[in-house]
This record gives sequence, C-alpha cells and structure tokens, in this order.
Amino acid sequence: MSDDVQKVILQLPASAEYVDIVRLNLYGIASKMGFTYEDIEDMKVAVSEACNNSVLYAYGQKDGVVDVIFEVGAKSLSITVKDEGESFDGLDSSGERMTLHDKELSDVQVGGLGFYLMQALMDEVSVVSETGKGTVVTLTKRLNFTEEKV
Amino acid sequence: MNTHKSEKFQAKTETEGSVCTVFLSGELDLSVAPDFRLVMEPLVGDKGLDLVINLKELRYIDSTGIGILLSILKARHGLEVKFSVVEVPSQIQKLFDMTGISKFFAPQEDSH
Repeated sequence: MSDDVQKVILQLPASAEYVDIVRLNLYGIASKMGFTYEDIEDMKVAVSEACNNSVLYAYGQKDGVVDVIFEVGAKSLSITVKDEGESFDGLDSSGERMTLHDKELSDVQVGGLGFYLMQALMDEVSVVSETGKGTVVTLTKRLNFTEEKV
Repeated sequence: MNTHKSEKFQAKTETEGSVCTVFLSGELDLSVAPDFRLVMEPLVGDKGLDLVINLKELRYIDSTGIGILLSILKARHGLEVKFSVVEVPSQIQKLFDMTGISKFFAPQEDSH
C-alpha cells in the first residue's frame, strides 16, 4: 500500500478575513484530487468552522497565527488546523447534543453548532487541545470511487 | 492590497407594501457577520413588517451565519410577527437539515 502523503502548508493571521483563503486553497486541492462538488462543499464548511474556532477563541485580542496543513493522500485528504493560543473548552467529542432536533425554539442556544457540523460533514475528526499549547483539529475526508467498481 | 472580504457578501433590501425582503448573495461567514447584523438590526424589531430573507444567491454560510438567522428567528417569534427564509440552495438546506434549524423555518401556520 502506498502511503505517500504530500503536504501543502499555509500559515495565516488568525483573523476572520483570511478564512476564505483557506476555503479557496481547499477548493483547489480537493478538486485536483477528484472530490465531488458535494464533498468539497462539505469540507469547506468543516474546515471553516475549525478556523473560526481558532480565530474566535485562541488568541483573544492578541495577534496570532493559524497553520493549516493539507495532507494529500492517495485515498483521502486530511486538513489540520492548528493554533498556539488558549485551548477552547466545551468541545464535546460526542457532538450529538449540539443539534436542535429535539429542541423547542425557546431552548435553542445560538452557537455551538460549528463543532457538530465538523463531525457531521467529515469522515474523521480529531481535536487535541492542550492548555497553554493551543488546539489541533484534524479533519479527514475519504475519496469515494463508487462509480469505478472493478 | 485591498482589504479582503469573502466573496462579496451583499444584503439588498426590497420593500413592497408591508413585505420586506432581504436578498443575500456571496459568502456569509464570520468576517461579514457584523455587516449582516447591522443590516438586519433595524428590520428585526419592526412589527409592521413581514420579514423575508431570500437565500437564492447565497453561495456559502457558516455556523456564525446560521446563528444570526436563529437569533432573528427567536426575536421575531418573541414579537409574534412573521419571518421566513426562502429559496434556500440545496447545499445550504443540507446544513439547515443537519443542524435541525429547518423545522423552525418551515412555513408557519397562521390563524386565518
């Protein structure tokens, strides 16, 4: 099995105005790999949510950077979003309870949906948050070759 | 270098009688959330308006955008006045369904 993984690394200011640059790069890489339009749209949302978390919670008012590492494999794309700021709490790896399906409008909390979306839209999600060392979110999407069964 | 904003988010408001429609286009994300809030602020509390948000030309929305729609929904619901979200593109509808927000956007039954 060839496990050759090639990396594309992007470093950006931790600012909301740069999150679309991550989406543009993601689009380029994922379409080149042959992902479907729908998969690319899913990944755009998930990766943006990971970046939003870093932009919003990692550095407070201070300037900081976000590293985005695209790992291009033969069968999958992994995107790691990394900051070196404060780790963010309240990341519940189950994610399930974040949805609004069983809630009345009066019970709905604005916010908290980002992490749920990452989980729902990607094949694998890992979040490692260490106090004082920042947060690393890794999102993986596998290429599906459903139409090319041999 | 231009200050870079996400794919030209725009909110255009058209009022016809008591119906006020806000047409969104481009990408609604964290970077333009304050702009969107600013457009909506005077409209949300206006009880005389039948408020409609049209998403036909919206290319992308993130959880920040969904959160703003939710807070508008809650405010309008609290005032017991009309609010609807129409012409939702399929990719965005998928996110609405996933998060469970769609059920709140379903056409409201009015007492006739």
